[in-house]
Amino acid sequence: MELHANAFGRNARKALLDKSLQEALGRTTGRFLAHRDAAVAAFPEFEATRERASRIKGDVLDHLDTYLARFVEAAERRGAIVHVARDAPEAREIAARIARDEGVTLAVKSKSMASEEISFNEALQEAGVTVVESDLGEFIIQLAGEAPSHIIAPAVHKTRQEVSRLFERHLGEPRTDSIPELVGMARRHLRSKFLSAGMGVSGGNFLVADTGSVVLVTNEGNGRMGTILPRVHLAVVGIEKVIPRMADLPTFLRLLPRSASGQAISSYVSILTGTRSAGDPEGPERMHILLLDCGRSAILEGKYREILKCVRCAACLNVCPVYQSVGGHAYGWVYSGPIGAVLTPLLVGLPEAAALPDASTLCGACADVCPVKIPLPDFLLELRSDAREQGLKTPGEIAAMKGYAGVMKRAGLLEALERIAGVLGQFFTKGKGIAGLPYPLSGWTERRDFPAAAVQPFRKQWKIKRGVRR
Amino acid sequence: MSEREQLFRRLSAACGGRVPTAGEPLPGSDAGAPEGGLVARFADTFAAAGGVLLRGPVEEALSDLGELLRGEGVSALFCPEDDEAAREIAEALVPFGPFHLTTGAEVRGGSAAVTAGFRTAEAAISETGTIVETSAGGKTLLPGLIADVHVSIVPAGSVVARMEEALASFTPDPPRNISFLTGPSKTGDIEQTLTVGAHGPKKAIAFLLPP
Repeated sequence: MELHANAFGRNARKALLDKSLQEALGRTTGRFLAHRDAAVAAFPEFEATRERASRIKGDVLDHLDTYLARFVEAAERRGAIVHVARDAPEAREIAARIARDEGVTLAVKSKSMASEEISFNEALQEAGVTVVESDLGEFIIQLAGEAPSHIIAPAVHKTRQEVSRLFERHLGEPRTDSIPELVGMARRHLRSKFLSAGMGVSGGNFLVADTGSVVLVTNEGNGRMGTILPRVHLAVVGIEKVIPRMADLPTFLRLLPRSASGQAISSYVSILTGTRSAGDPEGPERMHILLLDCGRSAILEGKYREILKCVRCAACLNVCPVYQSVGGHAYGWVYSGPIGAVLTPLLVGLPEAAALPDASTLCGACADVCPVKIPLPDFLLELRSDAREQGLKTPGEIAAMKGYAGVMKRAGLLEALERIAGVLGQFFTKGKGIAGLPYPLSGWTERRDFPAAAVQPFRKQWKIKRGVRR
Repeated sequence: MSEREQLFRRLSAACGGRVPTAGEPLPGSDAGAPEGGLVARFADTFAAAGGVLLRGPVEEALSDLGELLRGEGVSALFCPEDDEAAREIAEALVPFGPFHLTTGAEVRGGSAAVTAGFRTAEAAISETGTIVETSAGGKTLLPGLIADVHVSIVPAGSVVARMEEALASFTPDPPRNISFLTGPSKTGDIEQTLTVGAHGPKKAIAFLLPP
């Protein structure tokens, strides 16, 4: 997928002016959050399960070499063919070769963020293979020629009318405002693809080391169809998705759907091990597993390794005030929200995505909801400091931050400046807010009024309240 | 050196040659069995997931099932050839509606009829309201995959409390496919409006066989 992470500022402004996107974001993130909160409240073991999951993932990171080797050995014992790709170009080459060698002309794909990282569809299309996205949201945005805007709800920015127009143009279906009818159209169209495709492509939510299994979690059942009906199954998965034992799987199955959509469990969990056995009436004759490094082993070596615990639930997106305002496309690459603001710079290089760690208020809500306890706000802050060290901050920003730090360390100076700001603020105060500030402060007042400063600074009020007099 | 060897070299360098140890026990591992009877709890969670549970005297449950299937416009029933419990129920249903029997292969080949697929569940999980189906022993997965309505035959004795128990019987050497099926196929991808029948069954029914 093309990278535009450093255009965050421009993209965000565009998103804020997009009325239908704003409506969609309000509707979606709020609903996901409410469902998540209700599911967590109804599950008293949530905190203990979260702690357990975080520790299991920690153990995996400490011993990724051992567990991944176990996974590869077990998967190969069961007839799977395991490939390893160091970077995206290599992954594309391997994927295209697999499709060519297997004689595949049509592939059905279920949702996979990892495959977006390597521009999987383009690679196969260049090799002459038609790739049809089978997750309804992914199918919609594939028809629209767009990128996903939310990890688990990729078409959140599309209205039913827009979907119907797409189905009319690309599938020849009549126009309708009925969502069940639209779902039915996609079902019919994609069913014929499932039945005729030579290869099913999936991601992988988990890789089970002790059995060599790939685990898929879906609600629609597309992941299931694509891994039972076609002759070949190709799973494209990041190396960090491994968990040690099958016995660890329920822990994650209890956390992922609750954190993602507020379900106690997703409609479908498929645990897929190797190829079909002799006598099995269905299942793929060939199974390929394409393991992606693509920057992960480098992350494992450094101070941000815990980011590799991520299970891609998207809870941090829904709860983030920045994501709620600008949506996923503004982040300019595969991953959005707080996880994207940390993971993207680590995977593509900080100079290519230095704008993203700034796309946060550091409110900490993402860390509160993360089911595997990734310290996202700490990482955002640390990345900002890395950006400064790497010379990616402007002299103006560095000077401003130095000035800010200098003031915040001196109470007397802060108080004096507060008084000056209070006096100056009066010139711009219209009614209850400050408006029309000059550059570089104009960004704060262009589209809304900045709250006017109180007549008395907070710390003065505090002192008076506590009876301290000077 | 192959790409794989290079990857493991990089990983070993990052992991520093540590070997996994048993370590201290993890929290949240032995949360006790759910309260109440397993079957009662399964009935609750299965319904919460959007499934319809039929139980009680077989004759009565059959009549209810017939009505449900007619309501969904079902006309063709199919089940695995070697699944006796499922076949008995599918056959017994024929008089309850204008139903005819067909095969999974025929449905897979493209059936115009609205179909109901019958299959005996290997287990049911009361924690989540989940039906467990696997490919173990060459069993077919088509009834729960391509049918419009999925009818799971659940022997009361096959209900377990938690996911761990359901998985334990399939490790260390799991079959190609272990599927957890919980309620009907769903999507919320258009305007976050929950809609059933995205790709899989539009209705999930569990037919509980008394012990």
